[in-house]
Amino acid sequence: MIIKKVTRNIRQIDADTVKSNPLSIAFILFSLVVIYYANQFPDGGEIGAGFFPIMLSVGIILFAIVDLATDDETELDLSDVDVAPIVIVSGILFAYVFLMPYTGFLVGTMLFLPTVLYYSDVRSKLLIGAISIGFPILLFYVFSRIFLVRLPESQILPVSRLLPQLPLVVL
Amino acid sequence: MAVEHILQGFANVMDPVVLILMITGIFLGLLMGSIPGMTATMTIAVLLSFTFTMEPATGMMLLLGIYGGAVYAGSIPAILIRTPGTPSAAATIFDGYPLSQKGEAGRAIRISTVASFVGGIISVLVLMFFSPVVADAALRFRSPEFFALAVFGLTIIASVSGDSLAKGMVSGLLGMLVATVGIDPVTGYQRFTFGIPELLTGVEFIAVMIGLFGIAEGLRTYSLGISDEQDRVNQKITGVLPSFADVKSIAPVSIGSGILGSLVGAVPGAGGDIASFITYNEATRWLKNTTPSFGDGNIRGVAAAESGNNASTGGALIPTFTLGIPGDSVSAILIGALLVHDVNPGPALYQEETGLLYTIFVGFLLIYVFILIFGLLGANYWARLINIPQSLIWPVIFVLCVIGAIALRGNVFDAWIMLAAGGLGYVMRLRGYPLAPMVLGLILAPIAEENLRRSLVLSNGSLDIFYTSPIALVVLLLSVAALLVPAARALRS
Repeated sequence: MIIKKVTRNIRQIDADTVKSNPLSIAFILFSLVVIYYANQFPDGGEIGAGFFPIMLSVGIILFAIVDLATDDETELDLSDVDVAPIVIVSGILFAYVFLMPYTGFLVGTMLFLPTVLYYSDVRSKLLIGAISIGFPILLFYVFSRIFLVRLPESQILPVSRLLPQLPLVVL
Repeated sequence: MAVEHILQGFANVMDPVVLILMITGIFLGLLMGSIPGMTATMTIAVLLSFTFTMEPATGMMLLLGIYGGAVYAGSIPAILIRTPGTPSAAATIFDGYPLSQKGEAGRAIRISTVASFVGGIISVLVLMFFSPVVADAALRFRSPEFFALAVFGLTIIASVSGDSLAKGMVSGLLGMLVATVGIDPVTGYQRFTFGIPELLTGVEFIAVMIGLFGIAEGLRTYSLGISDEQDRVNQKITGVLPSFADVKSIAPVSIGSGILGSLVGAVPGAGGDIASFITYNEATRWLKNTTPSFGDGNIRGVAAAESGNNASTGGALIPTFTLGIPGDSVSAILIGALLVHDVNPGPALYQEETGLLYTIFVGFLLIYVFILIFGLLGANYWARLINIPQSLIWPVIFVLCVIGAIALRGNVFDAWIMLAAGGLGYVMRLRGYPLAPMVLGLILAPIAEENLRRSLVLSNGSLDIFYTSPIALVVLLLSVAALLVPAARALRS
């Protein structure tokens, strides 16, 4: 009985199912690319470097097909999702990381925070100013003087050199 | 001798720096757990970078403080505004919120605090005395058994971590696939590195975790509309200690739920949310004729749920420390924290790092003592934390995510990995894929691959080695059952 249901479910996969579950298709295609690449890895005796990635990719393909054949209701209702904030917040984050080598951590974060805070509807200038300046400086001292972790420093604007040196507190 | 180790552990946690970090962790956990939408997993992932340069025991105290504090504090918004601070506090709403509506929020929070303490202490005691026995048995395990355990860990986690088993498995296998990037440990061949030197040592899985739990969650919050219009807490919490009658009334259910919650927590994948629902359900079965009834503001309902979810914390560390298989997503991150310091969880840990383990055990006990003290003394203040707007929290979390990824190896490349993982995690969550199996896949992949290949080399490529070992056979059969039972149930329905 269960086998009949499985075959019936697999037969029911049609263009609409595929369209409504693009991620499963993306995972299948991705796995096929991985199998193609992994096939070219050298054998290396009994089991080569490609054996495990191929096995995992085959597993992904099988379960993605099962997912396509299964009518579940685990997806979020996409009508609730607003795409604009994702694009904007992702864009700001992307710019923050991209500019980090040029701006350094301090300046980059001092530019990032007010932008995101303002976008998040925070309108108090005092609050935006305090968080945007105070938080990066606090983090800078915590990481550089306590954890001894060097954060990216701008070659153009080495702002951290202007800050007073605090004693080392190594944990 | 265990007593010597316990005393040594006690001496280690009495170090002022360790105590300060432990208390800092508890406060951070209380802060983040009190704010709906901020989970213990996310908080620990985002703040993991603070522990990179610390001694392993010191770092673990900070992280375990966050863990215990957040799991406890999740009950506060559950009681006050009917919104669990963390998923594991969902069952606390059933009786906590009705108590709050009756004007007894303070009483509910005090009950929750005492029950959390009881559950947490029981779970750490179970961890302390039961895990060495498991580790001792696991010392006899060889490659086939470890491969079987890794497979079992993945299947059980995928089957309990979401509504769709197939999505859970895809997520877990994808995590395992990501973990294959880098130099192949056996042949030395560069897999999927595309000439990028940073990928030679593999994808930094901590960066992936930060992306999955920090960035993905943040993007989800923004996409659903970041709102500061959550219910505000205006009720003043007065009083400090619960009444003797209340403590006497909840004592049996707290102890029973603590033991049950520890056992449920020890099952890989069954985190605090599952533990609290099971203990709450069992309490309603054991105590049928109580007044008020369950769901109508019964303090024993609050105690059952809170003792259960806090008990899962110590329980989850049993498979984590003894087998290297994470009990839940938080313990997966804790494994990451240990690996950063070249400490490999598994049975050998109990022989090689006894001092570290007992420091963690004693420290975790002390954390629950502090939670009891801070929870009772500061209930009114923690309740106010719910009013902190998310619009202030998320920008700060984004910065912590980026700095956490950069601090891993001191380069921006890991921040890109973190952002990519965040984007993928967001899309996967949108389509209903659970993220916990992916993280667990990242952890389990090296164990599975190394032991599979070693087993096959030992057996000259024959699969006999997996069914001639009774333990490996039983564990693999359990893995198959973990896949087939929910699948058959879904097909029948």
